[in-house]
Amino acid sequence: MTFFGRWLLLGLVLATPRGPEIRDLSINATGGQVLVSFRLDGGMSPEIRERIESGLPTSFVYELELMRDRKHWWDRGLRSSRIEVVAMYNAVTHEYLLNTKHDGRLIGSETVRDADELESTMTEFVSFPAFVIEPTPDRGRFLVRARVDLGVGAMLGFIPFQRSTAWLESNKVRLSAGAP
Amino acid sequence: MKRPLGLRERFERHRKDTRFVAAGLGFLLLLLTLAYYLIQRGRDLPSVVVTNKVLLFALRYANLVLILVIVFVLTRNLLRLWLDRRQRALGARFKTKLIATYVGLSLVPVLLLFFYANELLKGSIDRWFSGSLRTVLEQSSAVAQALQAEVADRDHREAARVARELARSDAADVQAGAAIASRLERWREESGVDFLGLYRETDFVHAVVDPRSGLNDLPEVGRQLLLDALEKERADRVILPGGTHGRLILAAAAGPPERGGRFVVVAGTLLDPVTSGRSEELIQAYQSYRQLEVQKRDFAMSYRLMFILVTLLILLASSWVGLFLVRRLMQPIQALAEGTRRVSSGDLDHQVEVAADDEMAGVVDSFNRMTSELRRSRAEIDRSQNELLAANRGLAEERAFVAAILENLASGVIAIDRDGRVLSANRSALSILRQRESELVGRQIESAWSDPERRRLAGLVAELTEHPRESTEISLVLGGNRRTLGVKRRDLRDSAGREAGQVVVLEDLSDLVKAQKLAAWTEAARRIAHEIKNPLTPIRLAAERLRERHRENQGAVGPLLEESVDIIVREVGTMQSLVDEFSRYARMPGPRLLATDLATLIAEVVALYREVKPGVTVSAEIEPGLGSVWIDREQIRRVLINLLDNAIEASDAPGEVVARATSRGEQVMIEIADLGPGVPDEDREKLFLPFFSRKKRGTGMGLAIVQRIVSDHNGTIRVAENSPRGTVFIVELPSR
Repeated sequence: MTFFGRWLLLGLVLATPRGPEIRDLSINATGGQVLVSFRLDGGMSPEIRERIESGLPTSFVYELELMRDRKHWWDRGLRSSRIEVVAMYNAVTHEYLLNTKHDGRLIGSETVRDADELESTMTEFVSFPAFVIEPTPDRGRFLVRARVDLGVGAMLGFIPFQRSTAWLESNKVRLSAGAP
Repeated sequence: MKRPLGLRERFERHRKDTRFVAAGLGFLLLLLTLAYYLIQRGRDLPSVVVTNKVLLFALRYANLVLILVIVFVLTRNLLRLWLDRRQRALGARFKTKLIATYVGLSLVPVLLLFFYANELLKGSIDRWFSGSLRTVLEQSSAVAQALQAEVADRDHREAARVARELARSDAADVQAGAAIASRLERWREESGVDFLGLYRETDFVHAVVDPRSGLNDLPEVGRQLLLDALEKERADRVILPGGTHGRLILAAAAGPPERGGRFVVVAGTLLDPVTSGRSEELIQAYQSYRQLEVQKRDFAMSYRLMFILVTLLILLASSWVGLFLVRRLMQPIQALAEGTRRVSSGDLDHQVEVAADDEMAGVVDSFNRMTSELRRSRAEIDRSQNELLAANRGLAEERAFVAAILENLASGVIAIDRDGRVLSANRSALSILRQRESELVGRQIESAWSDPERRRLAGLVAELTEHPRESTEISLVLGGNRRTLGVKRRDLRDSAGREAGQVVVLEDLSDLVKAQKLAAWTEAARRIAHEIKNPLTPIRLAAERLRERHRENQGAVGPLLEESVDIIVREVGTMQSLVDEFSRYARMPGPRLLATDLATLIAEVVALYREVKPGVTVSAEIEPGLGSVWIDREQIRRVLINLLDNAIEASDAPGEVVARATSRGEQVMIEIADLGPGVPDEDREKLFLPFFSRKKRGTGMGLAIVQRIVSDHNGTIRVAENSPRGTVFIVELPSR
C-alpha cells in the first residue's frame, strides 16, 4: 500500500462516525451490593434527540452482567441486570418525563426541563446498585460487563438482529461482607 | 377390521379435495380482509402503533413466510414439471403452458398493482411530509408556544415586580398574615393575574386567587419550580389545576437574598379552556407531525410491508388456485393419456379412475367403455383365433395325413391348377413318370411333359378334360421301359364349389398287365390242352375201334374204317384250325402305321356285313371330316371285322348293328354297338383274354387279337352297355 493510500485509509477510518459505546465502567462493592458506574458516549445522537423532541417514548436499555473472574478460563456469569431509561417529552409543558426501571421495576420518575440534564440522566450512572449478592462470597474476584441495547434492526429488511454495543468489562473487585 | 383413519391420513386423502381448497381460499380471503382493514385503519391508528417494532416484525415475518410458501409452491410445481418434461411424461407440455398462463396471468397484474401502489404510497408519504405542511404546523405550534410564552413573560414580570415590592417592604409586615394577604390581593388586582403566591425558599407563605378566574383551590406549584426560580431567578411551568379545564401558566421570580431565606413570588394566569385547548392541539399536532417525520421510514416500511403482504397473499392465492385448476384439469387428461398409452401397449384391463363431475367425466366414461368394448372384442378375437388355430391345426394335421396318404399311395396323384400349372405330385407320381419333383411341380404341364412320350400323356389328360370318362389306359416308354398306366382325371373344386383345377391319378398297370398276360397264357394253355384233348378222344376211340375190329378179324371193316377215318380227319382239322389261330396270334407282326381314311375303311367293312344276317341291319355313322388316321389298315380292318362279326352273331332279328366313328382331339373313337342281350358283368373282364369265348364254337382268340392290335396302336378298347340295350365296344386310337 502506498503512503498516500495509508493516509487515505486512516482518514476514512477516522471519518467514519463512531457508534454509541459504554465508557468508564467501574464497580464498587459495598457489602453484598455491587455499585456500577458508567456512561454512554454517543448515545444521544441527533436522531435520538429528534425522536425525543417529537414526543415519542425513547429508551436506552443497559444490560449488565455480573461475572466471577476466572484466571485461565472464561469468566462465569452469575447474574444479569437490565436498566431501562425511558424519556418522553411534553411539548406543552416543555418537560421531559424520565422513568427509570431496574429489571422491569420502576425505581424512579422525574421531570427535567433541560436537554443536558436529560442526556446526563439517561446516559450517566453513578454508583447504581445493580446487583445484590447474598450471602457475600469470601473469595474470588468479580467484575461487571455492560452494553447498551440499541433496539432490533432488520437485515435486508426482514432478518432481525439485536443492535447493541460491544460488551465492556469493568474493573475486578473482591466482595467482602463487612466492607463499607 | 378396518382401522380408523388418522387426522394426517384423512388430510392426505382429502388434501386436494375441493372443500379443503375452498377452506384455504376462505382463509386467504380472511387474511386479505384483515390486511385491508389494517391499511384502512392505519390512517386512524397512532403512529406509535403503526410503526411499532413488533408490528413491523410481524409483517416482515408474515411476508417472509408467504414468500417462502410461494417459492416452495412454485418451485415444487416447476420442479415436478421439469421432471415430467424431462421424462417426456404425457401432457407435460400442455401442463407447462397452462401453468405459465395461470401464473403469468396472476403474476403480471399483481406485480403491476404492487408497484403502482408502492409508488402511490411513496408519493403520498412525500406529500404528507412536504415542507409547506411542516411550516404550517411548526408556525402554528410556535404561535401557541408564543402565546404561552407571552403569558408566562407577563406573569414573570408581575412576579418580579411583586418580589421587588416585597424587598422594599418591612420583613415584619411580610410575616404578618393579614397584612401580606391584603397586599398580595392588591398586587394581584394591580397585575391582573389570576394567582399570586408567596414562598420563602420552598415554604409556602401565602397565596391569593382571583375568585372570578375559575380557580377554586390554590394550585400546587411544585417544589421544582421554586428551586428553579431560586437557582435561575426565573422559572415557569404550565400545569393543569384541579377543578378547571384550562391551563395555568405559572412564572416564578426570586427576591433578593434575605436573612431567613429568599422570597419567591409565583404569578399565574389561567388560560380559558377553549384557548388552552386549541393552543395545546396546535402544539400536539406539530408534535404528531414530528413523530411521524421521525418514524417516516418505519411508517413507509410498515405500509410497504402491508402492500407486500397483500400482494403476496394475492399471488399465493392466484398461484395456488391456478395450480389447483391446472391439476384438476390435467388429472383426467393425464389419466386418459396414460390410459391410452396402456391400452396401446396392450393393457386392455386398464380403467381410468378420476373423480370428475364435468364433461371430462363423460370422456372418461366413454374411454372406459371403449376399453371394455376393446377388451370384449379382443377376447372374442382371441377365442376366434384359438378356434381358427385349432381348426388350422386340425387342417394341417389332416393335410399332413392326406399328404402322408398321398405320399404312401401306390397311385400317382398330380394336382394341376386352372392354368395348367402342376401344384403338387406325390412320390408315386414322380416314380411312375420317372421325374424329379423340380421337373414337375410348379411348372406348366406342357413344359414338364414336353418329351414325345409324356406329351401323349398330356394329350390324354387334355382329352379326358374335354370328354370326361371313368378311366383310360396308356402305354408309355418311360426310362427305357414300357409302362402301362391307368389314367383317371377329376375336376378339383374348392369349398365353394368353384373349379380350381384338376387331379390326375396315374396307376402303374404294368405288373397287372403282366400278371394278366401270365394268367391269360395259363388260361390259354389250359384251353389249348382242353381243345386239343377234345379231338384226341374221338381220334383215340376211332383208332381203338379199328384195332378191335382188326383183332377180331371181322369182315366188315370197311364202313368202320371209313367212319373212323372221317372222325380222325375232322378232329385233326379242328386241331389244325386251332393251331392256325394260335399261330396267327403268335406271329402277329407290329403295326405299320400309314395315314388311312378311316371313314372309307369302316364303310367298306360295313358293306361286307350288310346282308349277312336277315333282319339285322348293319349301318355306319361316320363323323363328317373325320380325316385320315395313322393306323395299320389291315390290322384295323381285322378289328372291325371281328367286332362286327361278334355283334351280328349276338343280334337277333330284328336287330341293328351300328358302326360309329368320331374325332376327339388327337384321338378317334370307334364304337360298334348292337341291340343284343349284352354281356354279363362277370364276363366283361375276361372278354379280351385269349381262348375265352361265350360262343359254342368260338376259338376265343378273336377279341384277344383285337385288343392286341388296338394296344399295338397305343389305343384302348373297352366294353360298355349300349343304350337302350345291347353291348357297345369302344376303340380309341391316337389320330397320329
